[in-house]
Amino acid sequence: MRGRQVVYAFVFLLIGFLLTVSIQHANRSGELIQLNESNVEQDLYYRDQLIDVQEKNKQLRSELVELQENVQNLEQEIANDTDELKDLVNRKNTLQKFTGELPIEGEGIQITLSDTTYDMSEEDHANQYVVHDRHIHLLINELFSAGAKAIAINGQRIYHDSHITCIGPVISVEGNVYPAPFVISAIGDQNTLDTSIQMRNGVIEYLVQDNIDVKLDLSSNIMMREKDSL
Amino acid sequence: MWFPILFLIVGVILGLLTNITIPDQYSNYLSIAVLAALDTLFGGLRAQLENTYSHRIFLSGFFFNVSLAAFLAFLGVQLGIDLYLAAIFAFGVRLFQNLAIIRRLLLDKYANRRKKSTTF
Repeated sequence: MRGRQVVYAFVFLLIGFLLTVSIQHANRSGELIQLNESNVEQDLYYRDQLIDVQEKNKQLRSELVELQENVQNLEQEIANDTDELKDLVNRKNTLQKFTGELPIEGEGIQITLSDTTYDMSEEDHANQYVVHDRHIHLLINELFSAGAKAIAINGQRIYHDSHITCIGPVISVEGNVYPAPFVISAIGDQNTLDTSIQMRNGVIEYLVQDNIDVKLDLSSNIMMREKDSL
Repeated sequence: MWFPILFLIVGVILGLLTNITIPDQYSNYLSIAVLAALDTLFGGLRAQLENTYSHRIFLSGFFFNVSLAAFLAFLGVQLGIDLYLAAIFAFGVRLFQNLAIIRRLLLDKYANRRKKSTTF
């Protein structure tokens, strides 16, 4: 009877132990499932967030494309503006060169007028052999109408308001006095200038008839300084 | 009579205190062990009522059944077939049979006692 009870006790001990263990195990696997559920919920939450972020990204990307287009347009505009500005600056420089605010340089011709070395006879007046202001006026006017860009007498530039006068044997250009010979340089198209002053019955012929020595040089590079006082 | 119940409580407390964690793949073995223990218990009760109880048969039956069930479960895991179900099925059927026999025996005993008391 005692031995039987011991065996039963052993079996009961085992059953109790196993039952509690399996119950605990079942509870734990239940927890595991619950954990999984919460995981799924979290997963869903994160996925939603991801979708949101992706949508936002898409929106931002389209915005970026739009902004880039804007930037491109602006750049184009700026480039156009700079082109225009460049044109304007070029034009201003050209005009400044014309008005003498900047030095000018270019091909052109040089005409040297000197008093004749011809032996004068007693009865002739010296005036007949001297270069007068009217000769120079004539020549300069002719050069200007032939399209000269800039003209200088003995290195002094002539402007629209310059005055040239004859003072005895010398010539005054804006108060500066120059003796003969007079070197008149003109910047412009060499061919046009050359042909226009050498025309038949033109300026050169007239000057030669007035007993003036005329020397004509084609110069590939004439340089004129800017006005001293602006 | 109180001795086995005391041990049952001790077993429950031990199970609660040890806090053993069993990996999922071994939960099959656990269910089989529980069933084998229950089967042995009811088999023993039945044998006692039939007066054919023997220590040797009881203990050897318990260990043999448990090891066979564990072996079947192990084989099932290796083969990828739920062979432990066979053990569960066998134990389950035996449990119900034993319970039915115990019930019948108890009812017979009760009826006999009443008959005896009425004859007096």
